[in-house]
Amino acid sequence: MTTSLRPMSVSGSARLDLLVSLALVGAAVALPFMVDSRYVLGQVVLALFYATIASQWNLLFGFSGIFSLAQMAIFAFGGYATAMICFYFGWNVWAALFPGALAAVVFSLIVGLACLRLTGVYVALLTLAIAQTMYLLIVTDTECFVMVGSICRQLTGGAVGFARFGDLGTREFLKGQWLVGNYAIVATLFAVTMIATYIIVKSPIGLAFKALKDNPGYAVARGVNRFQAQLLVFGISAFFTGLAGGFYAAHFQAIGPGILSMSQLMFIIAIAVVGGVGTFWGPLVGTIVLVAADELMREAGEFRTLGLGLIIALSIVLMPKGLVGRLGDLVRWLRRRSGAAGRSKLRESTATAGE
Amino acid sequence: MLDILTSIIIAGLTTGALYALATVGLSLVWGSMGMLNMAHAAMLTLGGYAAFSLSSALGLPAVVGFAGAVLAGAIAGGLLYVFIVRNLLNNDKATFESNVMIATVGIGIALENAILLTFGGQPLKQPISATGSLIIGPVNLPYQNMLIVIVVIALMALVALLLARTRIGRAIRATAQNREAAQLMGVAVNRVYFQVLVLSGALAGVCGVMVSSMTQLSPPLGNDPMLKAFIMCVVAGLGNLPGAVAAAFGLALLEAFVQYAAGARWGFPSLLFVVIAVLIWRPAGLFGRAQIRRM
Repeated sequence: MTTSLRPMSVSGSARLDLLVSLALVGAAVALPFMVDSRYVLGQVVLALFYATIASQWNLLFGFSGIFSLAQMAIFAFGGYATAMICFYFGWNVWAALFPGALAAVVFSLIVGLACLRLTGVYVALLTLAIAQTMYLLIVTDTECFVMVGSICRQLTGGAVGFARFGDLGTREFLKGQWLVGNYAIVATLFAVTMIATYIIVKSPIGLAFKALKDNPGYAVARGVNRFQAQLLVFGISAFFTGLAGGFYAAHFQAIGPGILSMSQLMFIIAIAVVGGVGTFWGPLVGTIVLVAADELMREAGEFRTLGLGLIIALSIVLMPKGLVGRLGDLVRWLRRRSGAAGRSKLRESTATAGE
Repeated sequence: MLDILTSIIIAGLTTGALYALATVGLSLVWGSMGMLNMAHAAMLTLGGYAAFSLSSALGLPAVVGFAGAVLAGAIAGGLLYVFIVRNLLNNDKATFESNVMIATVGIGIALENAILLTFGGQPLKQPISATGSLIIGPVNLPYQNMLIVIVVIALMALVALLLARTRIGRAIRATAQNREAAQLMGVAVNRVYFQVLVLSGALAGVCGVMVSSMTQLSPPLGNDPMLKAFIMCVVAGLGNLPGAVAAAFGLALLEAFVQYAAGARWGFPSLLFVVIAVLIWRPAGLFGRAQIRRM
């Protein structure tokens, strides 16, 4: 849209982003035709969820400098809200997705009101504590809320969670090919999330977020309201995260407290860190690399978590800007080298011309 | 009524002592280096298992097991400095705070999982513990709880002496107050960082033995005390040692009362509400000074 409005001012990086996204759309459309295995397609859908959450964590931490550890809690809140609306009120899943996402936004704003007056690690610790509290309260919930048949059902689903509250309707329409339908839906969700993130990052408010991250003192002095701006980005990121949570619950037709566990949160952070915090394509690159590494380590079974932990630690030590950042360094180095070579050649030719 | 009250207070003081020990290790590292050590929980667990394997599996006396726990924690702290922190300090200063947090999260997960793979997930009994109890009239004082409180108070006194009286302590305090100035005055800041991490690792090792002697050894042993220690650090203001100890005892007593009055599941949420209330009232913690930072 912007490219057609301002054809002259399209920068090199924007053109690159456009090319990459066109290639990705092509690959995404081609994928279901090339992949036969249900297992692989299922893992791809799961990876798309991870990429969506990681991109929103990246929007918070990489672009706005808010070190929140409540990302999975917000994701779970969206998922639980959607599942509970369907379970208790019998709504269609599609109707419940949007209210679920809004519930996640409200939850995130409450968390934000409590945490965002603080900065840095205080935010990280407090959000972590909130996420842990949510997990503990759900897991230890034993009071009966309703009776389903002869089984006692807790308000929050307890340690079991919710299941069989409806699905995305693809099983009815596409029968055996339902997974392809779900893949298309989740891929669309990811694409919409990425486009929205891109627009936000490039917009004036995105600049304000970035300014608050890079130099909070200067940004505040230039009239950016830190609390309001950070609350806004918290809410925006929670909307997409909560929406993804709803789709997650609908895709798997189940949601439980397991997604609130520390290892899930770490996987999301690892994705952003390995891919490159504060880079637009980082979360996607990180997802591809880490999901692939995870699949390879599945052979090693029990060493998976150990390997994941070491990958997180090593990649932050060896490449603080992640793979995308390292790639940028490489491109810049090559360009400088070829530029230097070109200049020296030019100098040589002028020297010979002078003689 | 009185015996219920005393048992709540005894439980609160014991867990308070444990939290205080975990908090001091965290707060020391934060105060002097601006580093939040998320691997502290795993170092706690490591200490507990080191004591277990020395005195239970190898059959050595309890003192050796205890010393082994201290040593294992200290070595873990030293290695953390050599492999992770030193390299991260070379990078951009502005991103150190978050980078080191993410890196130690990774190390913590890896260490916890390595322990799980070595010892298995089944709970084990910590051999270093005292049995029996001292009975004074209606009051029943288990030796184990007394031992924990005494050890913790002794360690606190030791750390306080170290910080107040020795050259190392002066260097640590100077680095905590102003890193650049300390460096210009000839303090080897990197060595101070190393010493602080070793010290905090040793404290974590002791804490691991103490925590596991109250409950049981299991790989996620350190996570619960560490999360609470974090909260206490935040309430006190990160980096403030006496404040952290006071907050640890205060919040542990509160937790014990809430758990008795409302059930165990409300203990942690009530702590969280207290923290949020305190932070809204004083964003830098109860005893924390408002920082003036040059941007």
